[in-house]
Amino acid sequence: MNWRGAAERVLGEPLVHFLLIGALVFAVFGEDGAPQDRRIVIDSAQVERLAAEFAQSFRRPPTRAEQDAMIANAVRDEVYYREALRLGLDRDDLVVRRRMRLKMESFASAPVDLAAPSVTTLQGWLDEHSARFAGEPTFSFDQRIVGGALPLPASLDVAPRSEIAAQFGEEFAAALMRLPPGRWMPVTSGFGQHEVRLRERRPAPPPKLADIRQRVENDWRAAQAQASEERAYRALRDGYRVTVERGQ
Amino acid sequence: MQRVVSIALAGFAALSLAGCDGNPLARKAETKSEAGVPRAEFPQRVYWGDPHLHTENSGDAFGFGVRLGPEEALRFARGEEVTSTLGLKAKLARPLDWLAITDHSDGLGAIKALADAPGFLLRDPTMKRWHDLLNSGPQGSQRASAEIIDAFANNRFPAEFNNPDDIRKRTRSIWDKHLDTVERYNEPGKFTALLGFEYTLMDGGKNLHRNVIFRDGRAQVEQVLPLAALGTKIPDALWAYMEAYEKKTGGRVLAIPHNSNVSNGLMFQVTEPGGGAMSAAYARRRAAREPLVEITQIKGDSETHPFLSPNDEFAGFGVTGWELGDLAMAEKKRPDMFAGEYVREALKRGLTIQDRTGANPYKVGVIGATDSHTALATGDEDNFFGKHTGAEPNAVRAMQKQNLGSRQGRFGWHYLAGGYAGVWAVANTRSAIFDAMMRREVYATTGPRMTVRFFGGWDFSGNDLSGDWVRAGYKRGVPMGGTMKAGQGRPSFIVSALKDPDGANLDRVQVIKGWTDKTGKAYEKVFDVVWSDPGKRRLTGGKVPPVGDTVNVARASYTNAIGAPRLTSVWSDPEFDAGQRAFYYLRVIEIPTPQWPAYDALRYKLKLPPGVRVKAQERAYTSPIWYDPPA
Repeated sequence: MNWRGAAERVLGEPLVHFLLIGALVFAVFGEDGAPQDRRIVIDSAQVERLAAEFAQSFRRPPTRAEQDAMIANAVRDEVYYREALRLGLDRDDLVVRRRMRLKMESFASAPVDLAAPSVTTLQGWLDEHSARFAGEPTFSFDQRIVGGALPLPASLDVAPRSEIAAQFGEEFAAALMRLPPGRWMPVTSGFGQHEVRLRERRPAPPPKLADIRQRVENDWRAAQAQASEERAYRALRDGYRVTVERGQ
Repeated sequence: MQRVVSIALAGFAALSLAGCDGNPLARKAETKSEAGVPRAEFPQRVYWGDPHLHTENSGDAFGFGVRLGPEEALRFARGEEVTSTLGLKAKLARPLDWLAITDHSDGLGAIKALADAPGFLLRDPTMKRWHDLLNSGPQGSQRASAEIIDAFANNRFPAEFNNPDDIRKRTRSIWDKHLDTVERYNEPGKFTALLGFEYTLMDGGKNLHRNVIFRDGRAQVEQVLPLAALGTKIPDALWAYMEAYEKKTGGRVLAIPHNSNVSNGLMFQVTEPGGGAMSAAYARRRAAREPLVEITQIKGDSETHPFLSPNDEFAGFGVTGWELGDLAMAEKKRPDMFAGEYVREALKRGLTIQDRTGANPYKVGVIGATDSHTALATGDEDNFFGKHTGAEPNAVRAMQKQNLGSRQGRFGWHYLAGGYAGVWAVANTRSAIFDAMMRREVYATTGPRMTVRFFGGWDFSGNDLSGDWVRAGYKRGVPMGGTMKAGQGRPSFIVSALKDPDGANLDRVQVIKGWTDKTGKAYEKVFDVVWSDPGKRRLTGGKVPPVGDTVNVARASYTNAIGAPRLTSVWSDPEFDAGQRAFYYLRVIEIPTPQWPAYDALRYKLKLPPGVRVKAQERAYTSPIWYDPPA
């Protein structure tokens, strides 16, 4: 039996495929009453233990937000664990067969637009997250170092900020943002004192999809994968009544 | 019932979205053309990168806990914020220009598959035990990992683990997905994502690992699978694989050995493996396949050891812990092994072998790398995410025992935060970076980004330090990695080192010379060529006095009140003998700066025991320039 090939394909995936079965199980149990095995309780002892583990690693107690994140993660663990038991992963391999079928069905039904997202989809994504894809301001300037020479360009034209930071350092690049144009001004870099004449500063142009299509697609794709996992988890999670008890 | 239906619908949507990743119907990412990227006449700027990084597809990295894959690794390297496996926000202060992800070919994805497999299907008790450990939390996972590395080193894997059919299928599936991800992130002219893998060759616990890096894109590289090393002890099978790849696809591929410092003398042998004089054919083959060596990385520095270079006061950086034995600590180190482990000695051995056979097997340039197993290529002391996931920033990592299959002698602080490679390429593309590696026009740093130029010629003078001196360097000389043919008089070298603009000043630049004489013996000498404050720091006994020290360990800070931002010189070899084969490389030394344990001590309010490395002088090593005497 070649279980490993199967197991890796099935289990290497995000656990979203549990979803359908989870939903069916939920349908059988119904909403009312939340039977015992549909209840997850994170009690105060567990909350304290999480806090103690954190403190051991970081030498301080967790903030409220950090504590919430740890609790949410513990709930997530428990949900997946219970669903795995529910599927009988500890008992027989019938389930594995069923999940392989599900997997194949998912191949068959995969919408084409995910394999190759449309321009509209990507443009929408770009517009929605325009800050993330913002280009860089560019600078044209002349520079000389006081009392010496450096193997660095005396003059640059329309150079992006990151390129300037790579060559002249962060401090210098930051100073150019504030420099009045047109006259020689003192600017400090990691190399020493410069005199700099800023000729032109251009703000970052609005990002054009055609220029950065791959980057937008990568970002969109990663976000879809994450969102679909989150949706699948949410659907499973909604089948439980979760109680968190916090101590004093 | 309404609600159940909507959940089921949401389920279908989620399923179809998730189906994308492994979907055989999905469009393959294509290799992007480099045609539109301008190529400089000669290299204008240095491109920074990490040629050696592991993700969750590496068995040991997965075992140590990492749950980030190639996609996160690439996003991080190009400057985006990523959440580390243990939930910390991680971002580089400055992006890298390129990255090669080099997951172990042996057991590619295997440990992940083992961890994910239904435990009840595992018949082999050892595999069942590993499966349980891997799923029992970080400590168990690390224990399983140590046992797996140990079993690998000793070729004691359970038979079930080594089923060739399973391995091939699993490797193919992961490799295809990997190629797809890397192609999506390779952006010619902006960010180069190179394809590669690590060939994890071991002889017992002795480290003979090589990273394999391709020049090409998916169309060629998908015609092969990463070659596994298990069961072999010498690199010949790898070289044959590389030759076959080039013949079959018309592509190019190179290999870079690393961690010679834990090979117990086997990485740079005088003989062929197994003994017997090295033939010219063997030497030529090795040199053709392995133009570079990784000289510094997290698991220590391999430039030289104080035992080999007793008169070099800067020898011994990053050797603590690693000098005790081989990788697995299966065999302790004897002093006679050092010579086969350190790069300076290898360069010398190369000369002697060339004197004897006419071919130099160790004509290697040098690069730095992280070899990080966290998918995060961090090389800065104040932003170090550790060797593996268990050593992500936390209060105990500096003093933790590092049981890489052993229980002795190595602690967290022995890891160095560092290793990057500077590449003098004509563009930021796969072909340009690969070609620069082939001609060895590359250098290593222990983390900081100094800009270092080095040209050798016969007529350079002080005038060549101004004006268009880089052009003159290329026109009238050879850059780092090159070979000088015989000329008139003494060779002269343009030496230029510019500090990391966001880092520490420079203490000094040294030329390290190695040569052989007629008796077949090899020698080395360190020349201080140019240093800061020469007025105050006069040579005493042939040495430049120390630069001083501004480090405040308690605050993990330093100032640039000492040192110089730029050191430059034209140097000619005062001891040149036209009949002697020689090499010259630069070592650029920074002023002392705090090391990552000092930053940890500040962050976590630790009291570190004496002896822990809290400050050091970081450095850059260039590839050598060789001199061939007239035949």
